[in-house]
Amino acid sequence: MGLPHIANLCSHLQNASKARLGLTSAPHTKYNLALLLSMQKAGFLSFVTRGGAQPPDPTTLSTYEPEPLTSANVARQRLWVGLKYSDNAPVLRKMQAISTPKRAVTMKLPDLERVARGWDTNGRVNVRGLNMGECMFLSTSKGRHGGARGR
Amino acid sequence: MSVARPARCLLSKRFAAALKPATPTCNAAFHSSAHLEARKKQRFKSIRAGEMGLTSPEKVQKYTEENFQPYTPEEIEVLKKHYSSEQMEALQAGEAAIDPKDLTIQGRLRRDPYQIPYLDDFSRLAPIRWLTEDEFVNDIAKFAKEVDAPQAKIWMEQKLNDPTLSEEQKDWVKGQLAKVTAQADRAKSLDGKGGDAEGLDLMFERSMLNDDNAPSDTSVAPSLGKDIPGISGIYQNPIDPEDQGLDDEGIYQDLKRRTGLSVREMMDLTVKILVVRLVHNQTRLGKIRSVWVLAIAGNGNGRLGIGEAKSVENGAAVQKAKLLAIRNMKPVPRYEERTIYGSVSAKFGGTIVKLDARPPGFGLRASARFFEMFRACGIHDIAAKMPRSRRPMNAVKACFEALTNQKDPNEIAIGRGKKLVDVRKVYFGGNVL
Repeated sequence: MGLPHIANLCSHLQNASKARLGLTSAPHTKYNLALLLSMQKAGFLSFVTRGGAQPPDPTTLSTYEPEPLTSANVARQRLWVGLKYSDNAPVLRKMQAISTPKRAVTMKLPDLERVARGWDTNGRVNVRGLNMGECMFLSTSKGRHGGARGR
Repeated sequence: MSVARPARCLLSKRFAAALKPATPTCNAAFHSSAHLEARKKQRFKSIRAGEMGLTSPEKVQKYTEENFQPYTPEEIEVLKKHYSSEQMEALQAGEAAIDPKDLTIQGRLRRDPYQIPYLDDFSRLAPIRWLTEDEFVNDIAKFAKEVDAPQAKIWMEQKLNDPTLSEEQKDWVKGQLAKVTAQADRAKSLDGKGGDAEGLDLMFERSMLNDDNAPSDTSVAPSLGKDIPGISGIYQNPIDPEDQGLDDEGIYQDLKRRTGLSVREMMDLTVKILVVRLVHNQTRLGKIRSVWVLAIAGNGNGRLGIGEAKSVENGAAVQKAKLLAIRNMKPVPRYEERTIYGSVSAKFGGTIVKLDARPPGFGLRASARFFEMFRACGIHDIAAKMPRSRRPMNAVKACFEALTNQKDPNEIAIGRGKKLVDVRKVYFGGNVL
């Protein structure tokens, strides 16, 4: 389970955004990779790439090729992500895990419909509806997806 | 040992005692008024009226007959022409009821120069009006004509030699003297059968026309003239013809310059007092009570401002707060010009205000102060909650912060590199507000 690592990733990205960092790194795991790629697709991150202990050169990022993954170097690999800023404010302002290591939250389709429309769930799970500009990323049997809400 | 010595000692003691000043009476000034040496003695011994024979029955009778004569038959005939028989009866009954002797003893007739020209007639009001300068001069001239011309001439000649009169007054007297002389010549009445020139003294009695701006009762004083020497041209008239007389006191002039709004536009704004607090400043002299006022201003179309002011005077605080509210107006982002964008919350002190966007027709479900704020800035559908402290001042400030600090959805979309589409607008084919 990647839940403890997800909570760490959330805190780390929030801190990096508040510190106005241009790029930062996260542990190279499948769970992190899926989440960060979803976030990049949603527009929160400028790039996500695999790299070593040193970050890739931003000037040659478009042609950057990470070194091949081998059993020798896999433990040193990290995920390097670029953070975005717009209008003198970070694009990623707040990031929070709904599921916690103590309690994994699962939802079925009716609840997901409500949350995506901005309404709070009623019933078993207790999840607040999405506000303007908020995104929720899900882990499903078909892979990990992003669900966005906007007017 | 000589005998002189004890004698000298004895004498010296006596002298010393004589030279020693007497125990002083208290000379300290306990008050600032002049010292009264002794009770003042009247110059003349007071004499009672009875000892002078003033209250003898004959004197009283004489005075009564002189002053309070009953109506003559001719006068009654004249009165009958003006009054009905019932009124005449009442009049005669009233006359009979009052003993003229009582009037003499108890009544008091005015002899002062400002006495009213009637004893008792309140059938009509005598209007009081200040004469203008021209009217006053004409009035005096008319009065002077009524006075015996030779007497007036003598009086004026005396006045010309009076050193206390100013040159202007003397010039005026000269002019009048020429007129009066001509009149006297024309009337050929220089033999003089006596007249009353005292009335002309009225001309030089102090009045607002000739007192040279001496301190006087300002409540009845005329207003200042237009071209006052020394200050004319220094102070500009603040009235702007563009205001169409809406701001004669110049209250809005500073605001007009700052905001660029016209006075009419500022007066059309919704301005409300939302919070009033009585505050005290404890000084060593005591508490100084002031009024603290928080006002909001809105144009009903997406602009809202709050202003807070404090003053000892309630009216001053209210006016300052209102003007500041107009000055501090900020744009409030509105979705479809009826509600806000999403849910917003703001914290001010211990107060948290949560605002939620609502569908059309929902209305304003908020506390009274928030209702006024939403109405002032033109929000029609909204829900507001205050989960924590509800202090009025903090609530209003937090709500203002929440309204003005909304995130712009376009800015968010630009930040993420997305294109924003309003689904509601697409669904209804653009037929939304």
